[in-house]
Amino acid sequence: MAQKWRKMTNIVETKDITKIYKRYKKKDGLKGSIAGLWKREYEEKAAVRQMNLTIEEGEFIGLIGPNGAGKTTLIKMLTGIIAPTSGEINVLGFYPNDMKNAYKKQYAVVMGQKSQLFFELTVNDTLRLFKEIYEIKEEEFQKNKAYFSRLFEVEELMNVQVRTLSLGERMKMELIVALLHNPKILFLDEPTIGLDAIASKQIRKFLREVNEERGTTILLTSHYMEDIKALCDRSVVINHGLLIYDGKTKDLFDKYQLSKRITAVFDHPVAELKLKKDGVDVILEGEYKKIYNVQKDMTKAVLAEIMQYEPDDISIEEEEIGAVVERIYREGSAVYE
Amino acid sequence: MINHIRKYGRVLRELIRLRFQNLMILRLDFFGPFFVDGSLFFIQLLAFRAIYSKIDAIGSWGRGEMILYIGTFSLLNAISMTICFFGINGIPSKIKSGEMDLYLSKPISPLFRLTFEYVNPGSLLLIPLSIGIIVYGAGTREGEITGGSVLRYLFWLVIMAFLYYIMEVLIRCVSFFLISTARMEQIEEAGLMLCFKLPGIAMYGIYKVIFYFILPYGIMATLPVQSLIGEMTWKTALQGIATVAVFAVLTAMVWKKGLRHYNSASS
Repeated sequence: MAQKWRKMTNIVETKDITKIYKRYKKKDGLKGSIAGLWKREYEEKAAVRQMNLTIEEGEFIGLIGPNGAGKTTLIKMLTGIIAPTSGEINVLGFYPNDMKNAYKKQYAVVMGQKSQLFFELTVNDTLRLFKEIYEIKEEEFQKNKAYFSRLFEVEELMNVQVRTLSLGERMKMELIVALLHNPKILFLDEPTIGLDAIASKQIRKFLREVNEERGTTILLTSHYMEDIKALCDRSVVINHGLLIYDGKTKDLFDKYQLSKRITAVFDHPVAELKLKKDGVDVILEGEYKKIYNVQKDMTKAVLAEIMQYEPDDISIEEEEIGAVVERIYREGSAVYE
Repeated sequence: MINHIRKYGRVLRELIRLRFQNLMILRLDFFGPFFVDGSLFFIQLLAFRAIYSKIDAIGSWGRGEMILYIGTFSLLNAISMTICFFGINGIPSKIKSGEMDLYLSKPISPLFRLTFEYVNPGSLLLIPLSIGIIVYGAGTREGEITGGSVLRYLFWLVIMAFLYYIMEVLIRCVSFFLISTARMEQIEEAGLMLCFKLPGIAMYGIYKVIFYFILPYGIMATLPVQSLIGEMTWKTALQGIATVAVFAVLTAMVWKKGLRHYNSASS
């Protein structure tokens, strides 16, 4: 079903945007290198292909896709960092690549692998610079700083050298820096990458609060299904630059996520578990550690069986993103209202 | 407009504050450059002394003028090293790594931030030392130096400091279009080294064309000295202004085009 093109309530609208990169196709060996000195062949790679996307104010949207799907490229086009090769983009009434300061003041972008903090200094020092860059009044600056440091539970860490913070604490600080000027849209590119389960959970909780309390529209890309499932009512799945699903996150998981991965760790040797159920794939069957892929509707029953062997630790993970994307792709594009 | 200038003034103050705080965390980083830059400066002086002790004149210039020239070039270099060199020099690596994303997504000129983000107080010492050489050179030469010629010298010094800056930016902007720009920086270094030793008045033919109009390092210290010693003609002055204007426009165009061409780096 085609996307509806609404003019009034959408704060992000893209129409057939495409981003094509050109890359040098080197022939094999020294001979190929020599030939390449005079004549080169280039191939075009579409990172994003004719994408139509609309986002309404206040939405919390998950952007899902495997590596190289085009998620980051899409975010870079929406923020104006790069220009699309073709198509139309309108974010808050601006064409992002015009790089107007009036637009830049209304969004924030956090990239999980790029830091905007000064590592040798404290977060308070960095915040001072951003206060001036975003022209935030002193009163508002103090109010926001107090609000976000309390929300992210980092009041004690604001005067600590960034270098000494843990990865999770650093990400919280990145978010505070990004949110300081009350952006209308927050673009998050893999904010939980590399974080442990507790830190990821905390970040998710805070993001939900920012979205609900402040009404900030959030576009989140993540490799982790848990992030998307916990936060986003709507999901957009892209693969090879194509939008292959746009709809409710719940429907996405109900329809396309068919299994879960159960990992059980024992402090005593356990021989092969006698699991009676069909639909259980054994991934690892060690004496102390066992991993199973279990059909979603059987998770409860399989767990109950494993518990009988008194595991020391047990974890349940969502099916990895690649498998879900592949399934959607196999079944054809699904764009829902 | 006034608000705009005020904003940039406040950001500049914060950038300088942060840079000082950053350097002061590691004491060796803070004090080291004073020693290193100072030592390099004196080594350079010794090299010049060895060269020019055997030469009495280059073109129409005697020892005094040459000392003025060396002092002026040192001063231009010191101003650049203190204010903007380390920030501008980081442009290629920021383009390659995709770190430029963080500059482009902020409501402030990325070039302004890059220019002043890495000020280097360690090179500050070179400024009074260079001024000392200029004063010594002025005392060594026989001709009179008037208040008017000092003002003209200061005017040309500012103009040439700007040319020095835009040349640094222009050469590094190439990174927006090419992956490897090391050769461009080598050309810059070679041009600067040559023109540090040899004033523009000693250049003729193709060398003059290259170092006056293509890589205008030849005029950077020559024109201020010519204005100070009363040797500057209207033609030279107009040529100098035109060269700076052309390179300013060219740099602005290449920078803008470069930003549009920027493809970031995959994360």
